[in-house]
Amino acid sequence: MIKNKTIRKKLAPISNNSNGHPIIKMVHVKKSFGDLVVLKDINLEIKKGEVLVVLGPSGSGKSTLIRCINRLEKIEEGEILVDGMDIYSPDMDVHKLRTKVGMVFQQFNLFPHMKVLDNIILSPLKVKRIPKNQAKKEALELLKKVGLDDKFNSYPHELSGGQQQRVAIARALAMNPDVMLFDEVTSALDPELVKGVLETMKELAKMGMTMIVVTHEMGFAKEVADRVIFMDEGYIIEENEPKEIFENPQNPRTQAFISKIL
Amino acid sequence: MVGLGFQIDLFVRILPELLRGAAITIQLTAFSVAIGTLIGLFMGIARISHYKIFSVPSALYVEFIRGTPLLVQIMIVYYGLPALGLNLDQYTSGILALSINSGAYIAEIFKAGIKSIKKGQTEASISLGLNYMQTMRYVILPQATRNILPALGNEFIALLKDSSLVSVIAISELLRRGMIVYSRTYDAWTPLLGVALIYLCITIPLSRAVQYIEKRWEILD
Ligand SMILES: Nc1ncnc2c1ncn2[C@@H]1O[C@H](COP(=O)(O)OP(=O)(O)OP(=O)(O)O)[C@@H](O)[C@H]1O
Ligand SMILES: [Mg+2]
Repeated sequence: MIKNKTIRKKLAPISNNSNGHPIIKMVHVKKSFGDLVVLKDINLEIKKGEVLVVLGPSGSGKSTLIRCINRLEKIEEGEILVDGMDIYSPDMDVHKLRTKVGMVFQQFNLFPHMKVLDNIILSPLKVKRIPKNQAKKEALELLKKVGLDDKFNSYPHELSGGQQQRVAIARALAMNPDVMLFDEVTSALDPELVKGVLETMKELAKMGMTMIVVTHEMGFAKEVADRVIFMDEGYIIEENEPKEIFENPQNPRTQAFISKIL
Repeated sequence: MVGLGFQIDLFVRILPELLRGAAITIQLTAFSVAIGTLIGLFMGIARISHYKIFSVPSALYVEFIRGTPLLVQIMIVYYGLPALGLNLDQYTSGILALSINSGAYIAEIFKAGIKSIKKGQTEASISLGLNYMQTMRYVILPQATRNILPALGNEFIALLKDSSLVSVIAISELLRRGMIVYSRTYDAWTPLLGVALIYLCITIPLSRAVQYIEKRWEILD
């Protein structure tokens, strides 16, 4: 605890993340569920505008890792800084943090009782307190970006899975986050719907969004990622540019994994 | 006079009186379910809270109400509260007792309804920066309420029948009116069968409505 505090003081002033400073920094992060240690010693820095793909076998802790970044999980040790702020410090405004970090889930998790437009403007209205007209206008622009501006008046169940996922992306973008987290967002989709969602994510990357993407889509990783990390049993055991990871993996476990999925 | 001794002419004569009682019964029930729903909403949310100061009192309340007879609860409110210096008229006592009673059952309904909403909904909501109260209000409760509407309807029907118990504190609801006719005419059969008939006329359409809603939800899901 005491050690943590001194680290916190040293790092607290970092708020200028523009050039080279990490927008996300994880230092000796440890997380367990009961007796099961899921994240063992995670150290990771992500620069603004970077696209990081997270690979690893099932149960290696990929989801847990990104869920810790918007405090959907509590960590036991270490710290996570977002934009220079220690997100586990007691005076951190967790709701504000979450508007800086957008998250998209495997199961979309749209609100089924709300129309597409209302899904998107909920947070801008209630959290950011943006006037309704402006929120609607911005929502429609976002829908246009994901190619669904004609669906603003539909209910989620009236859309295909791929369309729902693109609405979920638009909904997360509506808060103007600094970082977007994607947790296997195409895994629940029929194969023919995957492409549209990946296209949307590529667009986002091109626009300079900082993204952490858990995915098994190797094509996406190769084309879009600036860096790939490979996780195994709670550790990041390999980290490199996508080309290197895929063509020349160093760790035997990475090699085994890569050879299986390619 | 015919058959089992049900006297139609007497029934027709006392019908307006019984219907006035039925109106009171419906009124009592409606007020009590409305207040009970408010109580149940807060108690249901308190019940699933991670904070013991909320969840424990809520659990105790539900246990107490569900573990004791409604008749005893009515008596406690009507005869017991004056001992604490709180004098309420019969009608208010009746509504109070029925509200507190249905509140406990409705708390359980809300608890189950909230728990039936998938965790992903809460996670998506808080990921968007909404706090606990906003998540409840805009995301969870609208969906939970829709799910529990049939259960609330059934609770309304159950309470409508149970409200006959407040006749013991001399509220002129349906059963009490029937008893008054009985003591006046010395015919128990006609007024009491009439009372039962009127209860049926209210409860059967209500339970049909509940079934209809349930069916519709099934189709929509
Ligand atoms: N809420 C929880 N309670 C208990 N154990 C959990 C919980 N969430 C995850 N775990 C466990 O933690 C480990 C890591 O889970 P995590 O979901 O992070 O893995 P993953 O790498 O995302 O796997 P997958 O590729 O299957 O999604 C698993 O063993 C999982 O069973
Ligand atoms: Mg996962």
